[in-house]
Amino acid sequence: MRPPLLEARDLTLRFGGLVALDGVDLTLGHSEILCIIGPNGAGKSTLFNLISGIYRPQRGSVRLEGQDITWLPAHRIAAAGVVRTFQTSRLFNDLTLVDNVVIGMHSRTRTGVLTALLQPRAARRELNTAARRAGELIRSLSEDLYERRNTLAGALPQADRRRLEIARALASDPKMVMLDEPSSGMDDRDTDRLIADIRRIMAQRPGLSFVIIEHDMRLVGAIPERVMVLDYGRKIAEGCYADIRVMPRVQEAYLGQKAAHA
Amino acid sequence: MHGVDITAGPMARRQTGGVVQSVAIVAGLEIGGAALLRTFLLSDATWVVVGLLAVFGAAFAALQIRPRLEEHIAVAFREMRLFALLLGCGIVLIYPFLMQGSSYALHLLITAQLYAVLALALNFQLGSANIPNFATAASYGIGAYSSALLAIHFGISVWLTLPVAAVVATVFGFALGFPAMRTRDTYLALVTIAFGIVIHQLLNNFTWTGGPNGLAGIPAPSILGHSFNSPIILLGFRLPSQANFYYLAAALVALSIVCARLLHHSRVGLAWNALRSDELAARCQGINVVWYKMLAFGVDAFLAAFAGSIYAFYVSYIAPDNFTFLVSVTIMTMVIVGGMDNTFGVIAGAFLLILLPEKLRIFDDYRLLFVGVVVILFLLLRPQGLFPQRPRNYGDH
Repeated sequence: MRPPLLEARDLTLRFGGLVALDGVDLTLGHSEILCIIGPNGAGKSTLFNLISGIYRPQRGSVRLEGQDITWLPAHRIAAAGVVRTFQTSRLFNDLTLVDNVVIGMHSRTRTGVLTALLQPRAARRELNTAARRAGELIRSLSEDLYERRNTLAGALPQADRRRLEIARALASDPKMVMLDEPSSGMDDRDTDRLIADIRRIMAQRPGLSFVIIEHDMRLVGAIPERVMVLDYGRKIAEGCYADIRVMPRVQEAYLGQKAAHA
Repeated sequence: MHGVDITAGPMARRQTGGVVQSVAIVAGLEIGGAALLRTFLLSDATWVVVGLLAVFGAAFAALQIRPRLEEHIAVAFREMRLFALLLGCGIVLIYPFLMQGSSYALHLLITAQLYAVLALALNFQLGSANIPNFATAASYGIGAYSSALLAIHFGISVWLTLPVAAVVATVFGFALGFPAMRTRDTYLALVTIAFGIVIHQLLNNFTWTGGPNGLAGIPAPSILGHSFNSPIILLGFRLPSQANFYYLAAALVALSIVCARLLHHSRVGLAWNALRSDELAARCQGINVVWYKMLAFGVDAFLAAFAGSIYAFYVSYIAPDNFTFLVSVTIMTMVIVGGMDNTFGVIAGAFLLILLPEKLRIFDDYRLLFVGVVVILFLLLRPQGLFPQRPRNYGDH
């Protein structure tokens, strides 16, 4: 049987006395969207940092299509097809939009120092091809963004920053994309556009999977097939949105005990 | 929105009919710049030097106040790239003939060019990747000593020692990069300072490096029987022997510029820029941050060693004190003042910081103070450096 796209087992990480993540399992299939919700400090971002290789777990493992990637360095995990965005977007602000997306293709391009110096034509061709593909990728997300492709990323408004970060993540033709609170700082209209963007990307890229950390319940209700709830570093529920939202434990975690019983 | 649009604006407005204007801008700036530099080099009067500095400062003030001006110039140079290149090469080639046979002026130009190479070398690290390295002078020295030792003791051809010295320095560069990668920021800077001091002390204490007395009697190179110690006589013109090294240094600067541009416009340059901008995000885009940092150390050392070799053959005598920590700091200042990650800016920074102290000798004890004040004033005027980094241009528009 084909192994799941991503399979995390028993992930545990403590910072001193604080248990950030405690024995969390996560399974993600091909072309699936999983949403992770939970109150602040529940361990959602920690989970992303463990999967993407920024933190190392004290216990547990992460497998990508059956291959153990728990201890791979972050850049190898990205090259293997697991990419992410950040809660506060981390674009390369002093570079242009095209540069940002071309850098996203780093693991799919080859030029090294010797090629750049000794075969400048080949290096140049590779870069120009990458730049053209980057332009197309940006255009597929937003015509407006495409018009500004040669301006600096640091000058973009918040919603466009998210969009560019998603474009950069998609540039490496990943197997899965992890979005950390993509709608934070967005108004309703931007969130609607984000939902539409994600749906369109899903349609264009069969096989691509998403894991999304989200607070905005409109997005959680609109997109994923499966929702996972974290609280104090533990998984307290998993299932479809309609079931999850009525669970007392989930309401308790989100609204506090009194509100849940009221 | 137009305020932040960097490339599209002026390009769109001046589609055609700007050729004459562009040629005029390019020719005016290149010839005017060369003429100003010539006056600066040949003048002994302090008021001329200070006056030229004032002109220079006013030009940058104008650029700072009217960013459009800068944009027009950039567009003109981009449209007339070939013309600008040929004119620039022509000026560099005939420049020694305009020096009225002054070997002092040529000496200054050689020194400035060698430092331009050093600054370009460091720019790969400091400018592209924002990795502080206070050991460029060490690589410079390793290059100089390697070439000198090979030429003196083994009689190896000068031209052959150049690549060998570069490889030796690159190995040392990687050797420095390896432990340095376990640290970052301030600590990384400290590791490189320590490396620079260690190399200086080793050169000072080994007997086979001549100790504090250094190495003397380094042979001069020759091409087709023409020794670099003899003057160039061409079409009735007689250039002092320094002109040989002027052309050699100019060739090295040209080589460095080509390397800088090729790397900047490649996947490698982008990766360096990415880790300068945000190291964590760079890692998550699949960039092997450790490798690219070490690579920056290696490339820096490689180019610096070339400059060192040519310096050794030029002065024919080297000592450890030519390669001190202070030299590294000067090179760093050149990159910062000239403009991080801007090839032309870095060269301008090197020329400014070499020529200025020489020409201000009249201020005597206050010379370095004056240089410091000028550098601070320029940085106040242009906080991003004289020529700030420009966005990349892909061939699609």
